[in-house]
Amino acid sequence: MRAIVRRTLGFAWVVPALVLVGVFVYLPLAQNLWFSTLEWDIYSGSREYIGLDNYGRLLQDPVFWSSFGNNLLYAAVSIAVQVFGALVLAALIESIRSERWRRGLRAVYFLPSAISLTVAGLLFYFVYEPSLGPLNHLLRSVGLGELAQAWLGQESTAMNAIIAMSQWQGFGYSTLLFAVAIQRIPAEIHGAAAIDGVGPIRRFFHVTLPLVREMTGLMAIVTVSGSFQVFNEVMVMTGGGPNNSTQVLGTWLYRSGFVRNDFGYAAAIATVLFVITLGIALLQLWFTHRRRVEW
Amino acid sequence: MRSRALTTFAVLVGTSVLTLAGCAGEPAAKAPAVDAAAVPEFSGTLSVLTKFAGDSLSPYFEGVVADYRKMHPEVEVELIQETDQSVKDKTKTLTASNALPDIYFSWTGDWAENFVRGGLAADLTAVIGPGTPWGATFSPAALSAFAYDGRYYGVPLYNNGKFMGYNKAAFDKAGVKVPASFEELLASCAPLREAGYEPVTFGNKDGWPALHYLQQLFAYHVPGDVLNADFDPGTAKLDHPGYVTALKQFKTLVDDCTDTRDGTNGVLYSTAQEKFLNGKAAMYYQEILEFANVTGERELKPEDFGIFPLPVPQGAAGDPRAIEGAPEGYLINARSPRVALAVDFMKFVTSRENAEKLSAAPYAQPSTVVGAVTAETSGKAVFEGIEMVNKASKLTVWLDMVTVPEVADAWLAGGEALITGSSTPEKVLESVRRASAAAK
Repeated sequence: MRAIVRRTLGFAWVVPALVLVGVFVYLPLAQNLWFSTLEWDIYSGSREYIGLDNYGRLLQDPVFWSSFGNNLLYAAVSIAVQVFGALVLAALIESIRSERWRRGLRAVYFLPSAISLTVAGLLFYFVYEPSLGPLNHLLRSVGLGELAQAWLGQESTAMNAIIAMSQWQGFGYSTLLFAVAIQRIPAEIHGAAAIDGVGPIRRFFHVTLPLVREMTGLMAIVTVSGSFQVFNEVMVMTGGGPNNSTQVLGTWLYRSGFVRNDFGYAAAIATVLFVITLGIALLQLWFTHRRRVEW
Repeated sequence: MRSRALTTFAVLVGTSVLTLAGCAGEPAAKAPAVDAAAVPEFSGTLSVLTKFAGDSLSPYFEGVVADYRKMHPEVEVELIQETDQSVKDKTKTLTASNALPDIYFSWTGDWAENFVRGGLAADLTAVIGPGTPWGATFSPAALSAFAYDGRYYGVPLYNNGKFMGYNKAAFDKAGVKVPASFEELLASCAPLREAGYEPVTFGNKDGWPALHYLQQLFAYHVPGDVLNADFDPGTAKLDHPGYVTALKQFKTLVDDCTDTRDGTNGVLYSTAQEKFLNGKAAMYYQEILEFANVTGERELKPEDFGIFPLPVPQGAAGDPRAIEGAPEGYLINARSPRVALAVDFMKFVTSRENAEKLSAAPYAQPSTVVGAVTAETSGKAVFEGIEMVNKASKLTVWLDMVTVPEVADAWLAGGEALITGSSTPEKVLESVRRASAAAK
């Protein structure tokens, strides 16, 4: 009897949390799934059930596919720069003997991460500005004026310019996390390798890299997941233009709903986005449940 | 454990979906019958959504509300002030969640029509229609901009039109005159550049500034009845040769007269405006609402500021006296329990005294109330612009507001592609045709 009361009381304690999660997480999720099967006119309030038509339209929408491609490009560059690039940089910083220099460099690289993406986007909008921006000014002043261009105004350069900004902003954070992971490697392992005559590059590949494998995998998953949630920087810097060349799934979702009044279609994009990020989150859960590297 | 969690999740999702399934196939709501002419009950809270957020404009409605509350202290007014960009999202979010305020801002064209069609705008014909005392205080063109099927739904607050602003000192230095044709405008760019000015400053980061050029050129090149039919996807053909000519001329203007050329999409509208105000550019295509920015605190002095309509291209087959522009105003929520009070409040907002206040500095928003805009109260350029708007054969509504959003979006992307050179006028028109056909 006492056990039943305790169990019931225990359940009562979690009910508020369950209700909150249900109302603010699962209900909107279910609503979104439902909305994606509707042709919804927000003005008249009419909602016509159209089954999977919105998903069929997705398959034939070139902007949806180019947005998806931009997310993939974002993810690929982020993996290269924010995971592997940051790991190399962290290893370099941690190999410096002076503690003062190590701390200083960590702070220098981390600083951009302290700036919000929206602010960084605005800042880089002015950096890239074609006639007044410092980037073109710098190129002209070092004799590379022919490279000066409207970085955010050209379809060929706009997406790369946005990705470059986001790497600048996120690079330091990854570096700091890798630096912490490298610090956790016992000094004796590196010492033993050095005594055995292993050079710094081989030590990186055969000692550092295997021992930070867990962090590397986790960072890769987090980075890819983040790449599919890109929104702020694109909205601030280009709004998805020119000619939809910088649309990502998040901004195309927004544009479909709030500009084109196509809320059912926007919900279908949101569902696809949810499935992708859910898949990545499950991968992350699986990865973190794996046995840790021990020494 | 995991399978149990998955089951719980599935049940949760399924239950929610089934619950929501009851909402399927809801019919379009009709506007409830409202008596806009009823005697208002001066109590309760009136909510008002404006587009006047920001330092220069927000005090206007704050002042009007304070004055109204002095007359009716028992009425509370909840003022929600948004910017030109944020009001779009805010209005749609409030609409989707059935939480529209009692009074809300609206553009004309397709934007307002959506609210009328959805039964969200009160029919104000009885109080503001032609022949009514309140209606007689407005210019007829402004009033009819919010009329649909012969019924009047909106309260026009201020008028607007698009003009080429120019720096008279720059024109004198370069030895050029106000161009009489579009071809003369293009020809003036070389001497202006030689005189040290960017001939036309232009920022198209947001896409819509290009549509303003295009819509004025379309009005010149495409006959009015064809143009109107093409705005509606149900009747659109979009096959008049004037469209391609207009698109070509726009591209020539960007290439020959701006310094940013194919990179114009990377420039903010406000950055272009700054160049003009700082005396670095000779011309800048702008709305009457922007004329107040010429204050004399920058290089461009008010006495050097002049305006002219975008010159008409030679041999254009459309309407040479049409001017792009439209009034902006307010709709009253048809589902509000305080329609009569909302009407009373808007009558106060558009009273002669408040209209003159709105038209004068620091607001300089030319009121639609007849006689409120004078050269003395509103400044020479604003007065001149409004006079030209009043004399125009017709006002051509902004391209991104006059047609359905899918088509407007296709024009927007097409304008950007034309500037970068990634698309041709013919391909742009074809993409708009496809968007229009899909929107039928």
